[in-house]
Amino acid sequence: MSTVVKVPLRYRIPWKKIVLYVLAVAFALYLVLPFYWIVAMSFMREVDAISVPPHWIPNPATLENYLGFVNPNEAQQLVGGRAIDETPYSLRNSLIVATSTAVLNLVLATFAAYSFSRLKFRGSQVLLVLYLLTRMVPGIAIIIPFYLLMRTFGLLDTYLALILSYTTFALPITIWILKDFFRSVPRELEEAARVDRCGWFRTMWSVFLPVAAPGLVAAAVFAFMTAWNEFMFALFLTSTEAAKTIPVVAANFATDFNTQFTVMAAAGVLAVVPPLVLALLFQRKLVQGMAAGSVKG
Amino acid sequence: MAALAERRPLGDNAKAWALNAPAIIVVTLLIAYPIAYSFWVSLQRHNLKRPRATKFVGLDNYGALLSDQAFLSALKVSALFVLLVLGLTVVLALILALVLNERFRGRGLLLSLALLPWAMPGVVNGLMWRTIFDAKTGALNGLLTQLGLIDGYQAWLTSGTGAFLFTALAQVWNTLPFAVIILLAGLSTIPAELYDAATVDRAGGLRRFVHVTLPWLLHPLLIVLILETMNAFRAFDTIYVLTGGGPGDATTTIALLDVQTVLTFTDFGLGSAYAWVITAITLLISVGYIGLLYRKGNFEV
Amino acid sequence: MELNRRQILKYAGLGLAMPAVSPLLAACSGGGAGSGDGSVKFEGWDYEAALVQQNLDNFTKTTNIKVDYTPITSAQYVQKVVAEFTGGGGPDALYVYDDSLAAWVDGDYLQPLDGLPGVDEVYAAIYPGNAAAMTYQGKRYGLPYYTDSNCLLYNSEILDKAGIKKPPASLEELEAQAVKIKEAGLLEYPIGVPAQLSDTWWAWVWALIFGSGGNMFDEQQAPIMNTTDTVVKDVFSWLQQAATKSKVIDPACLQLLAVPVDNAMKANRYAYTIGARYASRDYNDAAKSKAAGKIRLALVPSLDGKEHGTVSNTRLYALAKDTEVKDDAFKLLTYLGGLDANKQPYTAKFWFLQRGLGFAYKSMASDPEVTASLEKFADPKVYAHLGEVATPRNVLGVPWYTEFEIEMHKVVQGVLSNQVQPAAAVAGLAQTVETLKKKYN
Repeated sequence: MSTVVKVPLRYRIPWKKIVLYVLAVAFALYLVLPFYWIVAMSFMREVDAISVPPHWIPNPATLENYLGFVNPNEAQQLVGGRAIDETPYSLRNSLIVATSTAVLNLVLATFAAYSFSRLKFRGSQVLLVLYLLTRMVPGIAIIIPFYLLMRTFGLLDTYLALILSYTTFALPITIWILKDFFRSVPRELEEAARVDRCGWFRTMWSVFLPVAAPGLVAAAVFAFMTAWNEFMFALFLTSTEAAKTIPVVAANFATDFNTQFTVMAAAGVLAVVPPLVLALLFQRKLVQGMAAGSVKG
Repeated sequence: MAALAERRPLGDNAKAWALNAPAIIVVTLLIAYPIAYSFWVSLQRHNLKRPRATKFVGLDNYGALLSDQAFLSALKVSALFVLLVLGLTVVLALILALVLNERFRGRGLLLSLALLPWAMPGVVNGLMWRTIFDAKTGALNGLLTQLGLIDGYQAWLTSGTGAFLFTALAQVWNTLPFAVIILLAGLSTIPAELYDAATVDRAGGLRRFVHVTLPWLLHPLLIVLILETMNAFRAFDTIYVLTGGGPGDATTTIALLDVQTVLTFTDFGLGSAYAWVITAITLLISVGYIGLLYRKGNFEV
Repeated sequence: MELNRRQILKYAGLGLAMPAVSPLLAACSGGGAGSGDGSVKFEGWDYEAALVQQNLDNFTKTTNIKVDYTPITSAQYVQKVVAEFTGGGGPDALYVYDDSLAAWVDGDYLQPLDGLPGVDEVYAAIYPGNAAAMTYQGKRYGLPYYTDSNCLLYNSEILDKAGIKKPPASLEELEAQAVKIKEAGLLEYPIGVPAQLSDTWWAWVWALIFGSGGNMFDEQQAPIMNTTDTVVKDVFSWLQQAATKSKVIDPACLQLLAVPVDNAMKANRYAYTIGARYASRDYNDAAKSKAAGKIRLALVPSLDGKEHGTVSNTRLYALAKDTEVKDDAFKLLTYLGGLDANKQPYTAKFWFLQRGLGFAYKSMASDPEVTASLEKFADPKVYAHLGEVATPRNVLGVPWYTEFEIEMHKVVQGVLSNQVQPAAAVAGLAQTVETLKKKYN
């Protein structure tokens, strides 16, 4: 870029590069250090984890905290009520719930978002704001009626109760993300497909959606994270290993009578890994998806 | 529906509502009813542990808020919390997004790190920061002592101001990634020609930012502002685990007070009134943001 | 148009669903409890859930009554149970905190046990304080799960090192001893108490007040902390002085829940704390604690150095009001909290021997098996004496108790951090009570 401008021949200090690297390193430390600390703790013995001054590197490193989730020793069995037993189940439950939420959310949001991006219809603005409005009411206000509703449907302590509630949480935002993204997909694509006498569904499936993939990934990741992180509804709607999710179990580590920092740290690390892997896998698409989603192309 | 669409083209109106139907049904069935119900309850004296004393009181719950010290204090704490968290999140996210928008070695790694806090449930986030801020064995104390910045271990969360600031910092760390992703996405769509033109005009870095970058970012900023305001107003998990609202009322935000009122005090009527005040405030602020951008002539839903 | 009709049908279905829900909302605790297959639905907070299950299996084996047991996270136990009863899906039998009893009776969740077989016998065999805590408006609602009273727990080795011969009888002495320990360079902050906000009661504050013969309320539940009773204010003054002047109470307490305080005691990092008697079993357990063998119990130090009392709490087993398996559920209650065929409190003894949980049964104090187990972690005389002088809080029957307790935590935090002066603190608490009374009127 800068080759356009005539650069004087004398050497110039690359201030921009320096500032850039300083900022990058500072941010990297800010983002990673807190997490590094619980990762390090999760490989420590309890006595090292609470030592003063702290041991920054686990030495001796131990896998005991992780092995505890498979085969807890006597001291570990007491940790966090039954949290240590429940961690593996809750991870499974969280994965199932978050993935299903992402999928269901994607289907519903795609239809709705398509209508906002392609069709002019009466009430569209009002409807968009109404969607968002449902997200502005704090969860605590609706948790009790929601609980009663789920009870009436016989859905307490099932995946479906969580999937449905998280879908309604994520839906308004995903519709907003997707509608902008779909607008940036050229209309000509669909028109070309229509000339080829493809049905609407086929057009959507084989022409429109592949082009829109980055936006869909962004929306899916957003919905997944929403479901993965939610605590209060999970607390009320679940009660056994059939559906308890990881935040509910993690909360036990915080409040229970018997707590070990290191086991808690290990559970924390396990709680972060699956969504992190997901986000990293889709990293590139994620940013592209958000790109078109937030700015009109 | 596919067959229908082929047989005869529907009007845009019908088609659009048909496409929205699944979403509307799910939302209405699951959320609209609880929302309406909670508003109805907010007009009642309704404590779950005294079911027989339930009665309709009109707007009394709302009227009582004006002299409700706990509510007024929590509202103040929330306002400051939202300002601080939102301010820090937007500034940090903007700088980080600008950095990530450049080309440099390690960019991919930094982008991955920027996603990390997103993957952390609020409860776990609170637990993590609690071990870090711990007065006896915390990593922050260890680090600052080893760097020679403090003489001895400090109890960071025991003063009102300290607890407030550290809680806000923990919250910012957790909410940063979403803002970064959206802003970065916005930045990456700015056509390079615009920058080239500005460079030719010999515009300085700051002027380039104000005249080229910022206008392009208005729309992503709107999304960030609305969503992060909503999130900060409803922040619960992290604060609950970190301080429980204390010391005193220092970190008792309106969201925390609301949860306490409904779940601990089982005062569903008053708690619902709190919730509707939160809703109204968030709505007003969002409308404010949108209005602001309308005036800039840059907004279209 | 076909499409519209389909939409209409969907909306109609939606309309049908709504009225189906409404009566349920209106009728609150209506609807049957139980899981429908004749088994007893039993809920409790998740303390030692595996041991509970073991006990229940034993019960099922001998009686052939199936029990469907759900342990619930202790921190959210009360909230969760309220939600369940509100939704009409409560358990048949359950644990109840004495703090929640009145509210849960008023909310129509529980039924009295008066007249059921063996209940009179149980109430005659337990300490009066425990009987009072399980009685509301003249009716008996529970069989005892466990009880405990609060005391001063101290680390005898640290006291020895500082040349202190016996535990403090007065608060003044406690402060002086702590200063001595501090000046000897043994500990920077010798006293620790859990003072982070949480939903559980702060037993140590009540213990200090009862320990000096004071109370916050009279027998009519009228607040006296700002009028006839000066103990509360004086205890607050002492707390403030010990926290901010002589600096013997750890300032970090404001961010400590009970667990970290326990850990600090076990790591010899505090010399004193005020807590439940059974904590000394944990503190003296060599497998978990570096302070094992050094922790002793004493009466709660008082303002005037004389002996007054302490506070106790009671956890009980109760019966749901609308259970459909009342007989079986009550058999379960009797097995867990009552007397067995040999007139022995089987499960209460089990919990004491296994985990040191305090017992409500007077006879257990002289049971040789119990005293033998007790001697391993506490002086049986002091232990028994604490049980005798302990009384429950006398405001558990008011509907605004929880609100008051939480507000009290905030006020005490203010006192400890010098934000609120003792006089203003008690005035504020009295004002809080008036406001709450008006609200619940």
